[in-house]
Amino acid sequence: MKQRLALLLAAVMAFFTLSATAAPQRVVSLGGPLTEIVYALGAGNRLIGVDQSSTYPEAAKALPKVGYYRAFSLEGVVALKPDLVLASDQAGPPQALEQLRRLGLRVIVLPSAPTLDALEQRMHGVAAALGLRNDGRAMVTELRKQVDALAAKQVGPTRALLLINRSGNPEGAGIDTSADAMLKLAGYRNVLSAQKGYKPLSLEGIAALKPDLIVTSTASLAASGGLDALLARPGIAATPAAKNRRVIVMDDLLLLGYGPRLPQALRELKAAPALARQ
Amino acid sequence: MAAKIARWRTPAGVLTALIAVLVLLMLLSASSGAMHIPLSVLPGLPFSAEGPDEALWRSVLMDVRLPRVLFAALAGAALALSGAAMQALFRNPLAEPGLIGISAGGALGAVGAIVLGGGAFIVLAPAAFVGSLVATIAAYHLGRRYPGMAGLLLAGVAINAICGALVGLFTYLADDNQLRSLTFWNMGSLAGASWPLLAGLAPWTLIVGALIARDWRAMNALLLGEREALHLGFPLKAVRRRLILLTALLVGPLVAATGAIGFVGLVVPHLVRLALGADHRWLLPNSVVAGAIALTLADWLARIAVIPAELPIGIVTSLVGGPFFLWLLAQRRH
Amino acid sequence: MLLAENLFIERQGKVVLDDVSLSLSAGEVLGVLGANGAGKSTLLAMLAGELAPQRGEVSIDSTPLTRLDNAHLARQRAVLPQSPSLSFNLGVREVVAMGAYPFPELSTADVQQLIQRALALADVSHLASRRYPQLSGGEAQRVQFARVLVQTLAARAAHGGRFLLLDEPTASLDPKHQQALLACGRQLAREERIGVLVILHDVNLAAAWCDRLALLAQGKLVGCGDPASVLTPATLDAVYGVAAEVVPHPRHPERPLVLFN
Repeated sequence: MKQRLALLLAAVMAFFTLSATAAPQRVVSLGGPLTEIVYALGAGNRLIGVDQSSTYPEAAKALPKVGYYRAFSLEGVVALKPDLVLASDQAGPPQALEQLRRLGLRVIVLPSAPTLDALEQRMHGVAAALGLRNDGRAMVTELRKQVDALAAKQVGPTRALLLINRSGNPEGAGIDTSADAMLKLAGYRNVLSAQKGYKPLSLEGIAALKPDLIVTSTASLAASGGLDALLARPGIAATPAAKNRRVIVMDDLLLLGYGPRLPQALRELKAAPALARQ
Repeated sequence: MAAKIARWRTPAGVLTALIAVLVLLMLLSASSGAMHIPLSVLPGLPFSAEGPDEALWRSVLMDVRLPRVLFAALAGAALALSGAAMQALFRNPLAEPGLIGISAGGALGAVGAIVLGGGAFIVLAPAAFVGSLVATIAAYHLGRRYPGMAGLLLAGVAINAICGALVGLFTYLADDNQLRSLTFWNMGSLAGASWPLLAGLAPWTLIVGALIARDWRAMNALLLGEREALHLGFPLKAVRRRLILLTALLVGPLVAATGAIGFVGLVVPHLVRLALGADHRWLLPNSVVAGAIALTLADWLARIAVIPAELPIGIVTSLVGGPFFLWLLAQRRH
Repeated sequence: MLLAENLFIERQGKVVLDDVSLSLSAGEVLGVLGANGAGKSTLLAMLAGELAPQRGEVSIDSTPLTRLDNAHLARQRAVLPQSPSLSFNLGVREVVAMGAYPFPELSTADVQQLIQRALALADVSHLASRRYPQLSGGEAQRVQFARVLVQTLAARAAHGGRFLLLDEPTASLDPKHQQALLACGRQLAREERIGVLVILHDVNLAAAWCDRLALLAQGKLVGCGDPASVLTPATLDAVYGVAAEVVPHPRHPERPLVLFN
């Protein structure tokens, strides 16, 4: 009996020490959407460093930056002495991730694909790595619930064009992009479904495709010189969307990040097609 | 004092001084970085590490910094040497390996690998190497029919244009993720440095570099002119073919492993020539050491400028090297 | 002996050399005269082995040049091309030292000795520590001459004949150095048994310093022999298309003096 009790006690203690070591307290996140998930799980205080794409929430901006997640600084990460590195599968250079592992750091790589499935995997993965498995499950359940509810709300057969602008020339999002996935999830028809990836806009083509709605990001709008300049561009000006000023502008990470704010993004996408009318 | 300086201005004296600077710079670079390692423990770290901090410091020093510092020096040396060889071959102080398609071919191979092959290092590096080699050999064969170096130069221009166009096409076909990978490859990076990479590249670079340096007499003779080189007994066609192939073999793997690092190959031999003259017997070794210094310095700056992040090294070489070069040109006029 | 037999070459339908035969023996100075475009430099390039004739053959000590590789050839003949261009920053001594490249077996001391001698022979010892690009045209030409002197003098141990081919070496030299250069050529021919071929424009300079003269007109050899027999109003008219008078030299009656009208 005494022996059994001792065994049980040992098992309980082992469990506690295990969970203590398994719950990392010094986390570096390489990827904006992953950082968002960490904060959404209430574990933002465990982050000691993030990459430059981690711009949400505001608190993330104050953390030490270890470079852009595609070219993060190996020694910069190591110097922060993390006990967990969360990395997007696009983080790199690949050899640097390898090196982190070789140095004995715990590196969890999570899928970055712009799909609901991948988002759920990201949530589960981050939660598990942080020792918050149950919170992760709850988060995924809540996500499904909200997305399903939103999916039920039809927006009608609206033809949408998603524009991003990194270089001064607006590019349209074709299929195989997170932008396209987002439009589909919101129930819109992407007018550029014949093209793959982001391509410079053919102004004549845009006029011919007659989108009813234009979706763009805050940074892209700034790069295009503001809403009026964007809508005044030849080609775009001729579209029904421009004529009716049906434009949705959203924060970049919210629109394209596929993070935990996905329901919010969907809500904004569905709710405000005539926002720009002033 | 003046006599002392004059004595040091001999090529051998400068070489000694440069080697000393390189060693000091490598020590400095190895002793600083995002991870703060107290200077008091640093010298002992390679030999023993007691305590958890020391173990971490040791692994950062030995597995992250040292390979990187050595790799920077190696890459800088090779880039400068190839630049010097190309400048001799083209009899033009503004020549560089990129002229015969090495960089453009490498970029095409890398971009192709990123867009078509997923872009894992194991695919990307060989693809970039093969790309640079194929582009160079194509330029050589197409340009061979014209007398002198004009044909090679023209063929190089055409090959560069074609590679550039194909890179553009791949860029157009690339998806968002691939596009970002391309951008970073084009900025160059030494982050891939590791002991296994060095173990492969260092012997290769040393052997190919030595084979290039062995032709220093032919390079000198080429300065006199192509006919003069012929009269001095150098089989011009064979020398040309050999130097082009060796340069591609030297630079190709580096371009593959680091991406595009500009400016070192062009500027370093040029600076050394301005300072010491064009005799390749001394130009080559001095360029090798000066190139190692240049890239070690650039890498050090790249690593400490924005701690804990780092700058792409290609940006640093051009950002620091460009104005420095202009300043030097302005000085020469007075 | 450097022997050219029935050399023929045409470029773009124009015959540049037509059936030219010529020999250059050890110990003699052979002058080549001809108007611009007569084929002098082409002939020199063929004798140097850098240009192959379309018909005919050049041989060195009975071995055709086509059977000799560059490195081997460079140990037997040195060439000073016309107006060498050099824009790279080299020292005079470095340029002259290149003459020893075909002879890797020579010790540094031997090479230094050769360089000193060549610098003295070409009267450029005082320029030894200068940078080449800072020299005047004439100085640069003499430095290049010193370089080919090193090459030809280094060939001491080589078997067979040694030949020095000079393409208008006096072009940018003042009268004093023109004389000095040709005197040096003749001295080397006599003392070192080197065969010297020199392309010249100054007929009287050639008559003064050359043992034999070869006259080229429109790719054909119109005369070859000692100056007194070759330089006649008829051959000079054929070569230059200018009327000329040939009189005995007032100081050296055995030597002809050409007066162009």
